[in-house]
Amino acid sequence: MRKYCRIWLQLTRLAIGTYFSNALDYTSYFIGKLVRFGFFLVLIGSLFRFTDSLAGYTKHEAVLFFLTFNFIDVCSQALFRGIYQFRRDIQLGNFDFVLSKPVDPLFYSLSRLTDITDLVFLLPIVALISWTMNAIPALHSLSSILLYAGMLFLGMIIVLGIHIISASVTIWQVESENFIWLYREAMTIGRFPPEIYAAPIQLIFTVVIPIITIVAFPVKAALQVINGKWLAFALIYAVLFLRLSLFLWGRALKKYSSASS
Amino acid sequence: MMLCGKYGAVFLISWQRELEYRFNFVLGRLRNIVTMLLLYFVWVSLTEKTGTFAGYSRAELITYVFGINILRSLILGTQSKQVVVDINEGMFSAYLVMPMSHVLRAFFSELAQRSISFLTAIAEVALFALLLGVTFFVQRDGLLALLFLVSLAMAVALFFALSYLISLLAFWSREALGPRFLFDWVLEFASGAYFPLDILPASVLALVKALPFAGIMYLPLQIYLGRVGPGGAVTGILLQLFWTGITSLIILVAWKRGLRRYTGEGM
Repeated sequence: MRKYCRIWLQLTRLAIGTYFSNALDYTSYFIGKLVRFGFFLVLIGSLFRFTDSLAGYTKHEAVLFFLTFNFIDVCSQALFRGIYQFRRDIQLGNFDFVLSKPVDPLFYSLSRLTDITDLVFLLPIVALISWTMNAIPALHSLSSILLYAGMLFLGMIIVLGIHIISASVTIWQVESENFIWLYREAMTIGRFPPEIYAAPIQLIFTVVIPIITIVAFPVKAALQVINGKWLAFALIYAVLFLRLSLFLWGRALKKYSSASS
Repeated sequence: MMLCGKYGAVFLISWQRELEYRFNFVLGRLRNIVTMLLLYFVWVSLTEKTGTFAGYSRAELITYVFGINILRSLILGTQSKQVVVDINEGMFSAYLVMPMSHVLRAFFSELAQRSISFLTAIAEVALFALLLGVTFFVQRDGLLALLFLVSLAMAVALFFALSYLISLLAFWSREALGPRFLFDWVLEFASGAYFPLDILPASVLALVKALPFAGIMYLPLQIYLGRVGPGGAVTGILLQLFWTGITSLIILVAWKRGLRRYTGEGM
């Protein structure tokens, strides 16, 4: 454990060095993320100029769905950004070098590019989540906050599983860049309360592509509008999904044949 | 004939390249379907009580959502992003010795990509319209339909010009992908790709309309939906022409100056 913490810290230091040497790029990316975040907040605010509820949720509750989506999205990008380089590593044969290192190749591939700008971006998101939760009377209890935090943790486990599956798919199908981007696009489903979708769509995005489980369940747990069965489902699903993703990664590694190096 | 031959070949080669990795292509289309469905359900939910929202009928909003999916496939290409990579990695040198204009080569390459996306977007919209049982707004005014097509052609030219110009930043900086990302997101929102811009507060709307991006998707769809009369449509088209002209002039200047700086490093 200590070894992997040291490795993660060292990889993060190297990544930060990269960012400072490409200051224009990363400043632009950071501003772009702020612009995107700000525009969606303006959109939600604009929608509520014409209505007082969205699928039965108030403005602050709708904003909390959006902020929770952002928290999970930004966390996953900050911690697992290395996955976006993985395809290139496979194509160029660089993954051979990763396999020769005395570190788990999956850990190295996922965490080699910790995005400090996203970690910084988490600060205003957390502040806004606190402010929004404060504005919702139903959330002024320790149990709500603990349920929210617990479900967020389970959501991150599922997100980790998705990234591992993406890495596995990349080994099988080298040109599969759009797999991880499909996940990113699917995550946008979580920007709004799930009740806006038809029931079959809600089921698909709860069980098959578990976006609602990842993003909406924390908010619904905090608001206590979800029953215990679904919370138990989320716990079992997260554990099984992670196990499945690790199994697929193991199978993918066995199939890996180097392009060149 | 020579013009069609050269650029026709670029078009065909780019078309084939787009279909080379079919799994990746299908995943890319699924991304657009997800965005389309998300927006569809948001607007359906908002129009559930009264059948209207912010002065739009449900049919208009749904037409806007599905129309955006088709327009996005036709207008928003990604090939001009490759210009950044080509300049930074020295591959751009190969294009300089080709007997063709790089701008036109990039345009036809992007056109090939957009043609494939357009055909699949039509199929997606038709399929989901059937599955969801939606009612579209159909523009029956011939003049507005014609003005819509003119505006659409101008939007294609305007987006390409803006996108190509941003990519030329690579002549001055190896860090051009970051500004490109910022441009893409400002464009996504300010062009009306997610929602009709007139639901924004008046002050924000005025700011957005002062930018050229509103002419890329918002204006053509407003003309199609008849929310802008022929006079307003012509004014909008003239604005698109103005912005395309200004951007093209800047491209000419940037191209000349950029080439003087270009060193072809990385080859």
